[in-house]
Amino acid sequence: MNLIKWDRSDPLTSLTHIQREMGDLLDILSSTPKIEGYVNVEFPPIIVSINEESVFVRAELPGIRISELDVRVVDDVLTIRGERKAAVTDAKITYLRRERNYGTFARSIMLPEKVDVEKVTASYKNGVLTVTLPKAAEAKPKQVVIQKA
Amino acid sequence: METKEHPSVEKKKITPDKCVVTGKGDWYFPLSDIYETPDSFTILIDMPAVSAEHITVDMRDNELIINGEVSQEAYAGEKIIHNEYNIGHYHRHFVISDAINRDKIEAKMSDGVLSLVLPKAEHVKPRKIEVRAE
Repeated sequence: MNLIKWDRSDPLTSLTHIQREMGDLLDILSSTPKIEGYVNVEFPPIIVSINEESVFVRAELPGIRISELDVRVVDDVLTIRGERKAAVTDAKITYLRRERNYGTFARSIMLPEKVDVEKVTASYKNGVLTVTLPKAAEAKPKQVVIQKA
Repeated sequence: METKEHPSVEKKKITPDKCVVTGKGDWYFPLSDIYETPDSFTILIDMPAVSAEHITVDMRDNELIINGEVSQEAYAGEKIIHNEYNIGHYHRHFVISDAINRDKIEAKMSDGVLSLVLPKAEHVKPRKIEVRAE
C-alpha cells in the first residue's frame, strides 16, 4: 500500500493509482495458496476405469471406517459421502506434524455409461474404495450374428 | 452437470538421488502426522492401496525407513478413462534420536494407514520428583 499525496489538479493520476491497487488486489486473490495435499482438489480423488462388463470407480480414502462411508447410485450419478475422523481426540497429545486432513466430504460423479443400479457392489480394502457398477444390458456391446443370405 | 476438469492430486514424486529406486513404478511421498504423548511418539502415514505385507520398516543407523509398494494388478484388462491420482509406491524416512526406545518400535497397518508407535526411552520420560518435607 502506498501513501498518495492528495493532488486536486490531476484526477487521472489518482485513477492510475487506483488501477494499480486493484491490479495488486487481483494478483493476491488469483494466486493459488501453496499448500500440499488434498486442499485444492475434489476429495476423494478418483480413478474411473471401464471394461466390457462394468464401470469401476476407485477412490483413495485411507483410514476411514466402513460405517462412516455412504455410497449411493441414483440413475447414472454416483455419490460417495463420508467422514474421516481424527485417530485420536485426546487432549493430552501434542501434534508435531500435521499433513493429513480430516472432516466430512461428499462427491458426486456422472457415470460414463448406463449402469444396472441393482447390481452395484462396493468394497473397501487397504484404504481404497472400489465401486463396481455393472453396465446396463443396453450399454453392453452386442455381437451381431451375420447370416448368410 | 458441470463439466469442469478436476485437477489431479499431484503427489510429491521422489527423485532417484534421495533413495534407492528399484523395480518398476514411481515412488511418492506419503502424507503423515506425528504426535506426541507423555510416553511415546506416533507417526501416522497414509499409504492407500498398500497391504501390510508390502510394507517394510527398516531401522538403519538413526534413520527409520518406510517403504510401501503397491500392485497395479487391479487395473489389468480395464481402460482408465478418468484419472485424478498417481498410483505408485511410497517412501519416507525419519531421523530418530536417542530419545526413542528403538527395540520397542511397533508398526500396524489398517485401512491404508500405517501407524508407528515409538516409545520414549526411560531417561526422557517425564518423571515427577517427590518433594519430601523434613
